Amino acid sequence: MKIAVIQFPGTNCEHETLVAARSAGLSGEIFRWNRPAEELSGFDGYIIPGGFSYQDRLRAGAIASKEPVMDALREEADGGKPIIGICNGFQILVESGLLPGLGGVDVALAQNVMVSKGEIVRRGFYCAWTTLRHEAPRERCSGSFLLEKGDIVRMPLAHAEGNLVTADEKLMERLNRENQVIFRYCDQQGHVEEEFPVNINGSRESIAGICNPEGNVLGLMPHPERSSFSWQLPPADPEKSVGDMNAPGPGRMIFESMKRYIEVRGC
Amino acid sequence: MLIYLRVWLKIPDAEAATVKNTLRRRMGYGAVLSDLGKERLWSIQVDDSVADPVDLARRLARELVNENKESYKASVDSVDFEKGFVPVRVGLSIEDGEAVSALNRLRNRLGFEVVRGVERSVVWKLSLQSRNPEKTAEEIAERLLINPHKDFYEIVS
Repeated sequence: MKIAVIQFPGTNCEHETLVAARSAGLSGEIFRWNRPAEELSGFDGYIIPGGFSYQDRLRAGAIASKEPVMDALREEADGGKPIIGICNGFQILVESGLLPGLGGVDVALAQNVMVSKGEIVRRGFYCAWTTLRHEAPRERCSGSFLLEKGDIVRMPLAHAEGNLVTADEKLMERLNRENQVIFRYCDQQGHVEEEFPVNINGSRESIAGICNPEGNVLGLMPHPERSSFSWQLPPADPEKSVGDMNAPGPGRMIFESMKRYIEVRGC
Repeated sequence: MLIYLRVWLKIPDAEAATVKNTLRRRMGYGAVLSDLGKERLWSIQVDDSVADPVDLARRLARELVNENKESYKASVDSVDFEKGFVPVRVGLSIEDGEAVSALNRLRNRLGFEVVRGVERSVVWKLSLQSRNPEKTAEEIAERLLINPHKDFYEIVS
């Protein structure tokens, strides 16, 4: 099973994302955005990693979303192959319309707004460990294929624009009804709260990750590659490993899910 | 009373160049989009009692414009653009945190108590060779310049 980790100018998480994918048993390579797009068809799945594609010019993800490689990715997605967008990758998938995948640009990832006790206490870039609750049934989505509903996953995030907003008042109902909401920010016991610091960026309904209607495309703001090994966990975490450098961390489940999805679907 | 500050880079504007390249090379506007420029536009509401708004505009610009790399043009109560391009103003339709911060900074830290409100937007200056430049500009705004879930745009006439 071979995956492509797409690298745009300004992407900066491609190497660790590839390492994390390999740790889950996938093989793959970094695929530069300006390679012939038709070469993409030789891969079984795709990851758009984090970073600052095109320096976030105009809007995070907006310029990369117009590259020919995204048209090719859309074709592969239509064929059922899995795509995971992490952080800036999620922003690119939103700007390209691949997420939530309802035919147009259906949401925006706006500037973070941290609200506590009804007041804005902070805005913009934030970097912290977060806890996510898996919201969909098992096997709903390629990137969380192995997770049960209610499972808790820890991973860090670092972004300025992850605040999911929409002008379509009916959209949230639809995303919830169709189980397209995959992850929500929660506390360490799994309780979702609307305010900071649990809802870490002000995202609508505390949403951290969504998938397309078919479930093969997932986008999430936190970085699973930064908690794919247990040594990456923060010092106080009881699951942190100090001896075994290959011991899995919670984020690895995202990549293992992708691998299992490819095996089951025969992509 | 409204004070407008049009602000543009004196050094090459990499963001404008990227947007121009994307429109021309990736989105099919190579034949119609001959050039593209970008300005920031501050719209600053001040007390009507201000005696010398031009001087106030100059003092506000000292705080909001970095003259090492930017130039600006101030005007009072109306903003005019030169001919030869379609100005498309893009702003946030959701709350603009940077504008809120700028208002707080001007009023509470820098002593501009006459400032009542601050709006921030970007004006994209599209030089278009199409039959209906305004329609083309609207199309470009909707296809690239805005995300309709957080931004608005208007053609500034």
